[in-house]
Amino acid sequence: MTCVQVRESLAELAVGVLPDEDRVEVERHLRWCAGCRKEATELGSAAATVAFALPPASMPAGLGERIVARVRRAAGAPGSARRLRTAAAAAVAAVVAVAGLGWGAVMAGRADRFADRAEQVELRQAEALERFQQVLARLVPGAELPEQETFLGRLAPAGPGMLGGGAVLQLVSATRIDFAIVWVNGLDAADPDRFPYRVTLSNRAGEVLRVGRIDELDADGGAQLFRQFEGHELVGYTGVQVVDASGDVVLEGAVDQTPTTPGP
Amino acid sequence: MEGLLAGNEDAVRALYARYARPIYTLGLRLLGSREAAEELTQDVFLAAWRKAARFDPSRGRLSTWLMTIAHNLAVDRLRRETGASRPHLVLVDEVPEVVVADEEASMIERDIAVRALSTLSDAERRLLVRAYFGGLTAREIAEADGIPLGTVKTRLRTALIKVRKANVDKERLL
Repeated sequence: MTCVQVRESLAELAVGVLPDEDRVEVERHLRWCAGCRKEATELGSAAATVAFALPPASMPAGLGERIVARVRRAAGAPGSARRLRTAAAAAVAAVVAVAGLGWGAVMAGRADRFADRAEQVELRQAEALERFQQVLARLVPGAELPEQETFLGRLAPAGPGMLGGGAVLQLVSATRIDFAIVWVNGLDAADPDRFPYRVTLSNRAGEVLRVGRIDELDADGGAQLFRQFEGHELVGYTGVQVVDASGDVVLEGAVDQTPTTPGP
Repeated sequence: MEGLLAGNEDAVRALYARYARPIYTLGLRLLGSREAAEELTQDVFLAAWRKAARFDPSRGRLSTWLMTIAHNLAVDRLRRETGASRPHLVLVDEVPEVVVADEEASMIERDIAVRALSTLSDAERRLLVRAYFGGLTAREIAEADGIPLGTVKTRLRTALIKVRKANVDKERLL
């Protein structure tokens, strides 16, 4: 869509009646076009004015407290997924920063550099976890997690000729819903036959839990998965594998769930 | 907003005191029942809490942001319930009249809004209301009124720009 076509549709978008097929196109355009985005923002602001002009209705008694209670529950809910994802991103940033790795080195898919320097990441794991705790405590009020509940692991190529790397972070808790976050990088994005990649956790008894599947990779062969395991404890699920569609193990690694993590 | 992001109850109460009524009113108007309006209002505040980090004051006012969330949620709900690809909103014929400023005018947002809408012609106001509350697309309005699609789109855009300009002018005076 050109800017002219998009701008013809922005008024309808603003008042919420742009047909879906057009809306998808327009919103895609707005993601990169600052000029059209500015106009969309202004028209959206004007549209909201219409609602404010309505003669006000009388409010149900107690609604305010019900809303406060609902937000409180959401804020304090164990493993509030959205916030944990944010925290997770910050935790990776912390790991990277602590290890002296440039963020770009990891996110640019330089799997070799990532692998080369991952040793440093492991050495600084304790410090990274401490930062992760701080991030979580700030983002999830009242959810200060004992340090021993969060564990990191590293993913490395499973065999010669394999590429890529990654990291795993687990929350293994007696009182909260366990979760795992897996980042991968440098995987083969060019060969469609390898999709989907699947990520699993396993324990010594050979029991397997699915973290999820990767249906697409970014330009650097990277992706991030997040899963909460309601009804499953992650204790003992230390093995991590990333497998392609043909069943070949691409990346593997282990999470160190021992309560004391090595210091720097 | 930082308070909201942290789940601070005082921040939620402050936002509620200022914005809950217009949000609830919009819900009542669009969804047609007090239960649905209450549910929508709760959903809006929860969504605002979840999206607080994404609110960018340089790209619009807090009130606009909240009302956009409310309108989107209401329209989404109507779409879900009707299974239609566009909203079938109720109360199409109930055009909210521009009321004379009264004791409620202390609500700053509403005062600004009423004044902004008063700068529109009746035809422009009706058009805006048919789309925003009625859920009618530009094409449907064009067909119903027997006028070219391009004309409806242009008029809708012109109306919004006039409202926007009135808002900006009013903000300058405040």
